[in-house]
Amino acid sequence: MLSPERLALPDYEYLAQRHVLTYMEDAVCQLLENKEDISQYGIARFFTEYFNSVCQGTHILFREFSFIQATPHNRASFLRAFWRCFRTVGKNGDLLTMREYHCLLQLLCPDFPLELTQKAARIVLMDDAMDCLMSFSDFLLAFQIQFYYSEFLESVAAIYQDLLSGKNPNTVIVPTSSSGQHRQRPALGEASTLEGVEASLFCQCLENLCDRHKYSCPPPALVKEALSDVQRLTFCGFLVALSKHNGINQALGALPDKGDLMHDPAMDAELERLVVRSRLHRTSRQHRAEEPGAFGFQRRDKPEAPETVPSASAPTPCLYRWEPRE
Amino acid sequence: MIPGKYRSVSGRAASNVNCGLHLVIQTSSLPEKNKVRFEKVEFRLNKETSSFPGRLLQHDLERNYSSRQGDHINLVSSSMPSFPILQRSSEEKILYSDRLTLERQKLTVCPIIDGEEHLRLLNFQHNFITRIQNISNLQRLIFLDLYDNQIEEISGLSTLRSLRVLLLGKNRIKKISNLENLKSLDVLDLHGNQITKIENVNHLCDLRVLNLARNLLSHVDNLNGLDSLTELNLRHNQITFVRDVDNLPCLQRLFLSFNNISTFESVCCLADSTSLSDITFDGNPIAQESWYKHTILQNMMQLRQLDMKRITEEERRMASVVAKKEEEKKRESHKQSLLKEKKRLIINNVARKWDLQQNRITNIATNQERKDSDSQDNSQNDGGTMSAFPEETGSLDSGLTSALQGLSVTDTHLVEVDGDTLSLYGSGALECLDRNWSVQTAGMVTTVSFTFIEFDEIVQVLPKLKIKFPNSLHLKFKETNLVMLQQFNALAQLRRVDQLTVDPQGNPVVNFTLWKYYVLFRLSHFSMQKINGTEVTQNDMIMAERLFGILAHVASSELPQYRLISILGDARKKQFRYLLETKGKKPGIVNEENNDSKRLVGENTNRATLNYTTRDFYNEKLEEIKEKKKFCKTYIEDLVKEATEINMKNEALQKLWPQMFIELVRDAVIEIRNKNSYMKICLQQITDQK
Repeated sequence: MLSPERLALPDYEYLAQRHVLTYMEDAVCQLLENKEDISQYGIARFFTEYFNSVCQGTHILFREFSFIQATPHNRASFLRAFWRCFRTVGKNGDLLTMREYHCLLQLLCPDFPLELTQKAARIVLMDDAMDCLMSFSDFLLAFQIQFYYSEFLESVAAIYQDLLSGKNPNTVIVPTSSSGQHRQRPALGEASTLEGVEASLFCQCLENLCDRHKYSCPPPALVKEALSDVQRLTFCGFLVALSKHNGINQALGALPDKGDLMHDPAMDAELERLVVRSRLHRTSRQHRAEEPGAFGFQRRDKPEAPETVPSASAPTPCLYRWEPRE
Repeated sequence: MIPGKYRSVSGRAASNVNCGLHLVIQTSSLPEKNKVRFEKVEFRLNKETSSFPGRLLQHDLERNYSSRQGDHINLVSSSMPSFPILQRSSEEKILYSDRLTLERQKLTVCPIIDGEEHLRLLNFQHNFITRIQNISNLQRLIFLDLYDNQIEEISGLSTLRSLRVLLLGKNRIKKISNLENLKSLDVLDLHGNQITKIENVNHLCDLRVLNLARNLLSHVDNLNGLDSLTELNLRHNQITFVRDVDNLPCLQRLFLSFNNISTFESVCCLADSTSLSDITFDGNPIAQESWYKHTILQNMMQLRQLDMKRITEEERRMASVVAKKEEEKKRESHKQSLLKEKKRLIINNVARKWDLQQNRITNIATNQERKDSDSQDNSQNDGGTMSAFPEETGSLDSGLTSALQGLSVTDTHLVEVDGDTLSLYGSGALECLDRNWSVQTAGMVTTVSFTFIEFDEIVQVLPKLKIKFPNSLHLKFKETNLVMLQQFNALAQLRRVDQLTVDPQGNPVVNFTLWKYYVLFRLSHFSMQKINGTEVTQNDMIMAERLFGILAHVASSELPQYRLISILGDARKKQFRYLLETKGKKPGIVNEENNDSKRLVGENTNRATLNYTTRDFYNEKLEEIKEKKKFCKTYIEDLVKEATEINMKNEALQKLWPQMFIELVRDAVIEIRNKNSYMKICLQQITDQK
């Protein structure tokens, strides 16, 4: 981070590259929206909390899609939040449709667009059977690639189309253009239904793209590694390779390795506490339910009284502490 | 109540059982040639079961009718082989100049009767005659009796213009015909034949008695023209309906026993007949009905005897009472069925409109659906059903009470309260929650059913529902466009929900594997008993917790404080705003709101942040924020500009500072070089300042 290059950039660009301005703008906006509530406990504290949450990655919860998409850090945080919240669904073994995953996404972001989810599903399902069931890990990894690198992928798709149709964006340097053309056309000896483009050429184009791209893109070395053992590949195949490559996943840093996707011991412990508490809660309620209420309608007036019974084990997250927190 | 004479009809072989017509003709001694004058003609119906009353002239009955056989009669075979010629002794002729009895003479044909042109009565009973012949010359004939023969066709009577009584009972006649010239006919007896249709009698305007019993009639009509008909006997036929009787101005007695009449409608013309006083229906299916007597009595007020029994005042009174009750019941059920029909139409209408909205059908909406209703009407029946319909202009049936304001198929929504269920069809129905419901009715409602209404619209009225129908425990949704799990968050604001039914039709959310668990999770504070009819088990609840518990944990503990406040604050603000709008600041309501907010706190608070804002609201909010965002952007830009300026200046200063510092030092040193002059300058400065 403390490289000398950063001093070479003009101030505004430096700030913009680090997305500092995005967060500043958003912070001020939030402040404006909630000024009555926030003024209760001070603006300094508000900013503290805000940037703390940005660091922790909780700032994107229940925010609008435009904010979530704004910075790579937001996207990564969102992916992580989604993973943490719904890992249990995957652990349970349920296979869900694309629409249901989209529903879960919408629980965290109400206006998440359907197209992204559809594209992610297409990576997993490889064709247009959009009602197929997908496992949680498959979907999540594909979704990660699609969401985090969405602009990059659009450019790649354009390149792919060009390559398919025979135009090489890099032809300018190759003098023997005819041989270059020959190379791109499907090999004549084989059946005419040979799909995709040649991997090495594709990689080269990608490298060029990464150099000039201002959006985030996966590390080119890892991309090459992912495509190293294939001769030809289709766009779908490329996406699948990306999603399954562990190195890229790690480089992104949002999710744990594929093997560990279902593991989160801290959260599991917390979950157990919650389950126990709800079980206690429910049995105590049922006992109360057997007592007839005043008009035969049971527990009409005070359904929530048992809530005040403190649970034995859980450190209940106390939400309504308005006094300053140390 | 069958007249005795019919009961043992089969027993008596050659009995003279018939309609018991008693004919009395009182005549002057000799009829004049030109005019046939009858001073007095009277008919008496003989209903006794006595022995043969005779259709004879009373004068001579007892005296002369000792033997049944026509005596003093010689039948001489004539030159024509088929027809015998009848001759009577002259003293016979003088004694009984106007009547001739040829009973039981084993006649197979009508004999030629010569020289008896004064004959007024001719009796051919109990023979085997097949055709009426050879009597055309007896043009004075008044009374012709052909009872119990084998006549197959009415014929040979065209010259008997004076004929008044024609007895053709117990023959084989299939059709009434050839009576055109018998315009003076008074009594026509055709009982015991095979007649299927009443016809060719319309010209008999003097006919007073018509007997068509024991024939094959299936219906009665074509009776117009019989302006003198007083008695019509139609017993023992197969009659199913009766018409034209109201065209008989003098008809007093009508006997319809032992037919096939089953409804009053088939004899409804009788009600219009003012002359009828005596009628019999026994032996018909209608007489077995429970409503038989009072319906007849009620519809035929002019009757004096029914089935041979006098009608008492008491009976009449009872009949009218019962009839009124029947009328009431019929009206009730009619109204009910109309209501049902209207409901069905409205629901169909709403369904169609909904489908259009959902772009499921491509027809252009006809302008049928344009009409909207303004106010709603409340109608209560004693059946406990209360339906509310929009007021329409015009009414369909003027007979309906004012409770039903009229039918129209252009209604766009329907609200129905049926005991404990409130059903709403169509989005316009949500307005009904604004109305004043009686406490009793509202208190009874435990189930609320929404159909053909967008869920987003329902969400907006849920606070009203909570207040107006506090006992609603069961919610049903059908065709409400539930597509996201998030939408269930909106139900958390209700007081309590015991049961939830989400019909798969029109609610895609049901196709999700996890929807039930999510509902249980989010609405865990309700402790729901049933979802879509299946009981909720402990395992379900635990599974729900397991699946989504972390979401709740994250949503509560990891949100920064200010987010929590803002999210929760929004929800409470909305509720409060609604209350202010509708009820004003009544202290009672404010207390309730406080209770509600307490309850909100009391519910599983780690879920409280999971809210649902309808798409429209959400977009609205985003729109509102846009302004703020723009402002923020410019503000920050300004700040950044300032900061960068300052930074630049700072950097510039950094660069220039060494030089500046050296210059400063140099200037200072130069200044102080000459101590004396410097002291003088300083003192000067001080005095200048003062």
